[in-house]
Amino acid sequence: MAEVKKNEEPRIGVFVCHCGTNIAGSIDIKAVMEYAKTLPNVAIADDYQYMCSTPGQNKIVEAIEEHKLTGIVVAACSPRLHEPTFRVATREGGLNPFRFEMANIREQNSWVHMHQPEEATEKAKDSVRIAVAKASLLEDLIPKSVPVERAAMVVGAGIGGMQAALDLASAGIKTYLVEKNPTIGGKMSQLDKTFPTLDCSQCILTPKMVDVFRHENIELLTYTEVEAVEGYIGNFDVTLRKKARGVLTLEEAEARGFVGGGCNGCGDCEDVCPVIRPNPFELGMAPMKAIYIYHPQVSPLLYTIDFDSCVKCNLCVDICGDKKAIDLNAKDEFETVKVGTVILATGYDIFPIEEKFEWGYKNYDNVITSLEFERLICASGPTGGHLIRPSDGATPKKVAFVLCAGSRDNTGVGKPYCSRFCCMYSLKHAHQIIEKIPDAVPYLFYMDIRSFGKMYEEFYYRIQDEGAKFIRGRVANILEDPVTKNLHVNAEDTLLGRPIDVEVDMVVLAAAVQPAAETDATRRLFGVSCSQDGWLLEAHPKLNPCGTTTAGVYLAGVCQGPKDIPDTVAQAEGAASAASIPIHLGEVELEPYFAVCLEDKCAGCGMCINLCPYQALALVEKEGRTVMQVTEAKCKGCGTCGGFCPGGAIWMQHFATPQIIAQIDAFLLGGEQ
Amino acid sequence: MRQYAFFLGCIAPNRYPGIEASAIKTSEKVGIELLPLKGASCCPAPGAFGSIDLNIWYAMAARNVVLAEQMGVDITLICNGCYKSIYEVNEKLKHNDELRDGVNEVLKEIDMEFKGSVDVWHLAELYYDPKIVGLKKIADSITRPLSGVKIAVHYGCHLMKPAKERHFGDSENPMWIEELVAALGAEPVQYRNKMLCCGAGGGVRGYDLTHAIDITNEKMINLQEAGADALTEVCPFCQLQYDRGQIEIEEKFGITWGLPVLHYNELLGLAQGMSPDELALDLHAVDVEPFLKKIL
Amino acid sequence: MAVKKDYKDKKLAEKLRDRKYYIPDSNPEFIKEVEKIGLTAAHLCYQCGTCTGSCPSAPRSSYRIRLFMRKAILGLEEEILTDPDLWLCTTCYSCTDRCPRDLAPTDAIMAMRNLAARRDIVPRNFLKTTQLIYQTGHGVPNNDANRAARMKLGLEAEPETTHKYPEYLAGIRKIMDHYGLKERADKILAEEG
Repeated sequence: MAEVKKNEEPRIGVFVCHCGTNIAGSIDIKAVMEYAKTLPNVAIADDYQYMCSTPGQNKIVEAIEEHKLTGIVVAACSPRLHEPTFRVATREGGLNPFRFEMANIREQNSWVHMHQPEEATEKAKDSVRIAVAKASLLEDLIPKSVPVERAAMVVGAGIGGMQAALDLASAGIKTYLVEKNPTIGGKMSQLDKTFPTLDCSQCILTPKMVDVFRHENIELLTYTEVEAVEGYIGNFDVTLRKKARGVLTLEEAEARGFVGGGCNGCGDCEDVCPVIRPNPFELGMAPMKAIYIYHPQVSPLLYTIDFDSCVKCNLCVDICGDKKAIDLNAKDEFETVKVGTVILATGYDIFPIEEKFEWGYKNYDNVITSLEFERLICASGPTGGHLIRPSDGATPKKVAFVLCAGSRDNTGVGKPYCSRFCCMYSLKHAHQIIEKIPDAVPYLFYMDIRSFGKMYEEFYYRIQDEGAKFIRGRVANILEDPVTKNLHVNAEDTLLGRPIDVEVDMVVLAAAVQPAAETDATRRLFGVSCSQDGWLLEAHPKLNPCGTTTAGVYLAGVCQGPKDIPDTVAQAEGAASAASIPIHLGEVELEPYFAVCLEDKCAGCGMCINLCPYQALALVEKEGRTVMQVTEAKCKGCGTCGGFCPGGAIWMQHFATPQIIAQIDAFLLGGEQ
Repeated sequence: MRQYAFFLGCIAPNRYPGIEASAIKTSEKVGIELLPLKGASCCPAPGAFGSIDLNIWYAMAARNVVLAEQMGVDITLICNGCYKSIYEVNEKLKHNDELRDGVNEVLKEIDMEFKGSVDVWHLAELYYDPKIVGLKKIADSITRPLSGVKIAVHYGCHLMKPAKERHFGDSENPMWIEELVAALGAEPVQYRNKMLCCGAGGGVRGYDLTHAIDITNEKMINLQEAGADALTEVCPFCQLQYDRGQIEIEEKFGITWGLPVLHYNELLGLAQGMSPDELALDLHAVDVEPFLKKIL
Repeated sequence: MAVKKDYKDKKLAEKLRDRKYYIPDSNPEFIKEVEKIGLTAAHLCYQCGTCTGSCPSAPRSSYRIRLFMRKAILGLEEEILTDPDLWLCTTCYSCTDRCPRDLAPTDAIMAMRNLAARRDIVPRNFLKTTQLIYQTGHGVPNNDANRAARMKLGLEAEPETTHKYPEYLAGIRKIMDHYGLKERADKILAEEG
């Protein structure tokens, strides 16, 4: 516990920031500054255009020396933005950095009270008074350093997770790559070609998958989910649920003494399995057995049993024979691994577009989604790459593409955001049908073509040149001809100003994307926030797009918001770099906001022990008495114990009861304390 | 017996009294007693009044609701136009203090106050709701199944839309009235662009008749394609548009359709054994006889 | 401001009328009025055309609900309120159900009609309906043939409405008089002849 200098006379410096006109535009800076001078303990008050600038920080450094200050208050923006900046300045001036307190008069004041300058100024005075009251009671605190485990975890093995894992592993870090599905590759492995280069998705993905599989620093854990997370940056204990696969790898077989046994991917089991069900990789458009691989190119090439549909007939066990690769009594297994940092790359799902009733998906046979189109146009897909109408197997000639299907939609059924890659893949789809089907005509119904990336606008030009028809209007509804199963796409050609009815053979809905179903549960385990629409929240939208507000946890790919493959890979590399920094440093500083037991007051009642959500407290014997003891590295400073302790024996560092009472008093009693 | 204040509207009592008569009789057989709502007026017509001044529409509709509040019973009705006025204004005033205060200021002049103490239901939804009537009770109440006839359904815009201000779910391809039709032993048929408007609403029937019946004619083309023997609806105004509209189509466009149009309560009456005379089907502009021949 | 062309030939002046959109010629308050009456945030329209694509009136007329939304946002009050197409909306609410911006274009149209009515621009049939209600309580009142039919059905000749209880008409008239509707309708219809 930091030493409390009882007899120290507080001398506080107050610095009010204009933030250009961000604050000064609605708050009277001079008035706030003059007011600060009248407050108890204030030794100096000053202001500056930008307190975060070098001259602004120098004001703090110089004032500490000149006025023998004991505490600093800066009235400026949110502490989330510049608290670290001003703590450094405080330290450079010779004070303990925790002798600094921030009054937020921008986000919580000038920005929201833009049109009430007088009230805003009064509120700013209140904020400064409250901050001064706390600063007068601040103590020196010494952060603790803890060692960082030399290992990382990546959750999700789509292209983002794979890239992040490869980068971490190549930087010499042991990396656990966790994937809930039996195979890796994610959504990208379901795609046919990629825009704007038109290279085959599998062709560029497969080498990466092989790299992941072979990398000595990557431990690949497929068919595995995160079950529980404990700890903090540098020391996460992650418990994994390895779902019962029912099939042994070569290594697992060897471990059981079946040398030379284990699954070699021969597929004999699949041939004899009597259970047929839809293949989710093919979006239900192809059959699959209860013992399965999604497709022949899966990595790892290892079968999996779906125990929900398996009838345990033993046919697979018999045919597998001496390889003894199949264990119908397999159970989920749990394993806990220790890692220093974590990258979440949990990806996305397709919005259930059938909820937009007006477009008839799942009601009309020939209305499909873009992902279904990818499988149907893909040579390794269920039709061998022949695009066909589900109603009759015929080759469609006229195909309508509905862009913004459920995106940019504020109705509550749909997503308010732009899904960001639908314009481009729809252009690619148009190209693909022109390329594959003679006389095919694609009709793209769009509101805006958002071709913002490198070589994207050029791609738009190319597809227009190839003969795709563009209709500037959002599709109002689709009606099916009950006899031909053709579809009438109704919209307004807004550039023409006329309603149009285009009869087509097939409609492809560029359905919106949404966070993958498991995202919410996963983010809660790691204590990561999400935005209103469910995407995981980055630490700063511009300046820290890979980090989160939980130290040691980073984001890659679409789980943070819709993005295409280049952006996903770029963010994955950024996240890998960020996640490797603490590991390479070898130790991290923990904020010293933990609870401290005042042992002379502690009655050893133990009530706090069970209240602690982080298992950070324990009762110990000391000098013949039972007292509580805090494991500082586990304590998050939440204050649950401190608020509860009946004897007032728990001191919350930096948020101590006297400090908080002083703030409340300062607010309620005005300047008189 | 569940009791409801029966809001009549205009067209049912004053043009198709068979709808009023059958609503009272058929409802009794499925456990609903319709009480007279004395002194009720036009809902008032949402197109005419709403277009001129929505505030008058709110106040006039609120007066009708208050009559039921004074009786202490919920309202039920048989017309979608009425449903828009009475249901929607009731809901709007319940949830928007500013609107309610404005309306109550006017109602004060006639010693009335909107309290928001009753709910408003379309009779068809009460029939469909298993907690009130339900399909089984409807099926059990019939003595003359309408077997062998194909019946198409027109839901009507103001019953279903805006869907967010209703509680019937899907407004693009609803099926619940078809289920009510099937409960009578008839075969419900689907047709192209089922949810297209009848053409009458918003004052358009009065403003530009040929425009309105051109929409109706599009509906008739689609209905013909589906081979429907009759069209049913739950709105006398839509009925008027389809029934008299066919005569107007004949006059203005020279096209004859001859598709009988019956309110669901008229169908239910027939299925429960009421005679065409008891339903005043002779007042229909399009001859109902060919349809009756198939079921009687 | 639009360029005034004081050409002697009035026909030519009209033919060559300045078609440019000038901001000072528009009324920025108009959209706010529309939103206040229609209870919908019409200014958020992004012109996707879902409304017109859903509209039963659009395929058979020059009525374009999307254009009304656009003109309202631009404050083209005069153009909107004097456009006879304003009265072609059947209020089917298909546009409202499908609008991706969660707006109610139908209610915006109703609001624009209200604003037209404030300038005494209302088609006759709308006014006549209100007059009938003032007189009888019904927009479609009873008649003798119907009374006979009602009695044949065992119903009373007059329904349980203002028809049977005309004493309720006083209240209805008071409400309509509160807004001066009867007087206005009479005046407009008389002026039109």
